[in-house]
Amino acid sequence: MLKKIRVEDAVGQRLSHDITEIRPGEFKDAAFRKGHTVCDEDICHLQKLGKNHLYLIDLEKDEIHENQAASILANGLAGEGITWVDNPKEGKICLYAEHDGLLVINKANLAAFNMVDEVMCASLHSYTLVKKGQQVAATRAIPLVMKRNPVERAAAIAAQEGGTVSVHVLKDAKVGVIITGNEVFNGLVDDKFAPILKKKITDLRSHITRIELVPDNTELIQQAIETHIQNNCDLILLSGGMSVDPDDVTRKGIRNAGATEMHYGAAALPGAMFMVAYINNIPLLGVPACGLHHKVTVLDLILPRILIGERIGKKELAFIGHGGLCMDCPECTHPHCPFGKGM
Amino acid sequence: MQSFETLLSKSAKAHGHLCPGQVVGVRMAILGCRLLGLDNPTSIAQIKKFLVYVEMDRCTADAVAHVTGVKLGRRSLKFMDYGIMAATFVHLETGMAFRILSTEESRDLSCVYAPEESEKRIQQLLAYKRMPDNVLFRVQKVHVEVNALDLPGPTKQKVACSRCGQVVRDGREVIHDGKPLCRPCSDNCYFSAPQEILWPDMDWTPVNGANGTTRDKGKNKSSAY
Repeated sequence: MLKKIRVEDAVGQRLSHDITEIRPGEFKDAAFRKGHTVCDEDICHLQKLGKNHLYLIDLEKDEIHENQAASILANGLAGEGITWVDNPKEGKICLYAEHDGLLVINKANLAAFNMVDEVMCASLHSYTLVKKGQQVAATRAIPLVMKRNPVERAAAIAAQEGGTVSVHVLKDAKVGVIITGNEVFNGLVDDKFAPILKKKITDLRSHITRIELVPDNTELIQQAIETHIQNNCDLILLSGGMSVDPDDVTRKGIRNAGATEMHYGAAALPGAMFMVAYINNIPLLGVPACGLHHKVTVLDLILPRILIGERIGKKELAFIGHGGLCMDCPECTHPHCPFGKGM
Repeated sequence: MQSFETLLSKSAKAHGHLCPGQVVGVRMAILGCRLLGLDNPTSIAQIKKFLVYVEMDRCTADAVAHVTGVKLGRRSLKFMDYGIMAATFVHLETGMAFRILSTEESRDLSCVYAPEESEKRIQQLLAYKRMPDNVLFRVQKVHVEVNALDLPGPTKQKVACSRCGQVVRDGREVIHDGKPLCRPCSDNCYFSAPQEILWPDMDWTPVNGANGTTRDKGKNKSSAY
């Protein structure tokens, strides 16, 4: 229960919540913290913040304070790789990445959580690469005092399936690379693909075990795949030969090598002719030639997900369509752009 | 209790079609039984142990009744015409009662739980299967005072209407000026202006007559009213 008193009558009373001060473009923080005992000197400051009245809180049995609620909510939301401190500020608790990795948001959990009245959680986009200590989400109870029951229900919803907000460590995968193309194999042009793929792979802390250059020949592509599998690769990247030309036989090579699952085509531009296949649960990613030209393609959206062990199928390649159109900016600012964020 | 899919399939067949309301009803019934500790509600051992109050006459109500085995005629199913997607499960031995409400937000969340489906009905159907209980439902522990005259079992009380003589069972009479009235004789009845009629084949009976033929002589006659 809340009781309203005049600021002038509040001297000696303890504040029941943080009081925020905002100086546009300069300062936004708690001017007074919860529990602060109001003294004479505070009256003028409080009035300058527009506070002519304060609340005194007398909690009913089934009520909780916003700070306690925020702790319950954060505990439900936090999944693997998330850290948070039980010291709400302005009624809010921030969730941080416990380590470098890929942020994964259980969007169904998050939506269901936010549909509960009087609680909220906002996060970064799912599948954002994050650094240790980076803020990835924040939660709060909206009123100062609320019933315990909806808070606990929201927390239970958030806690399902291991929590709503998680940061997964990217596996250090042994990656085999196959560069296809007669023009490269015969030395007519220099290969530009391998250095690009190598950088993308090492940036994600995986490493390349071997790079095979092969012509557009089904049998030789098949053999190169089999060699990588025999060398215990966790992941195989194939460049080129993913298009519709008669010389593009990479897909056939993948099939002949024993792919049990093949998904050709992704709802992203650049990267429509991307392919994901699996041989004995080892993922094979067919990277179309757009990877040579564009700094960021569908590969950058899918590769981190593969490295956290996500199984990529038809559904995953289809759902990236919303937001899957690169704006092809003169100066690429990815990941600070909408590409791949609409899922 | 049978598997969810088996119960849903049988319930949909009994109801006439598979729809999102059936999914909600089957899950509501499963949860209600679980909360009351009933693992086989339609068994002889458990069927008389509980009542269900449904607050809507929609597909969900049929599914709840089918899964739990409660029936209007057994007095184990009570219809409360509230227009609310809710049902209350009452254990007659322990007095425990839980009111389960289908959440309104579950409708809005369907697109999140089944984003691969664009057709609304199919999307809801799939999403309602996927949502956890605490997203699909809210549950209240409630107290239900069950009147002895509402319980299953033989008729406990019969009273004749003081105006028309109609026998009224189980305390459903209305007392007016100290005298019992049946509802049609009171001012609160769902119909009005009753008139007794005669009809052409009023001697029809479903069992065979003495000469071995079905008495269907009124068949195909035009209506006399």
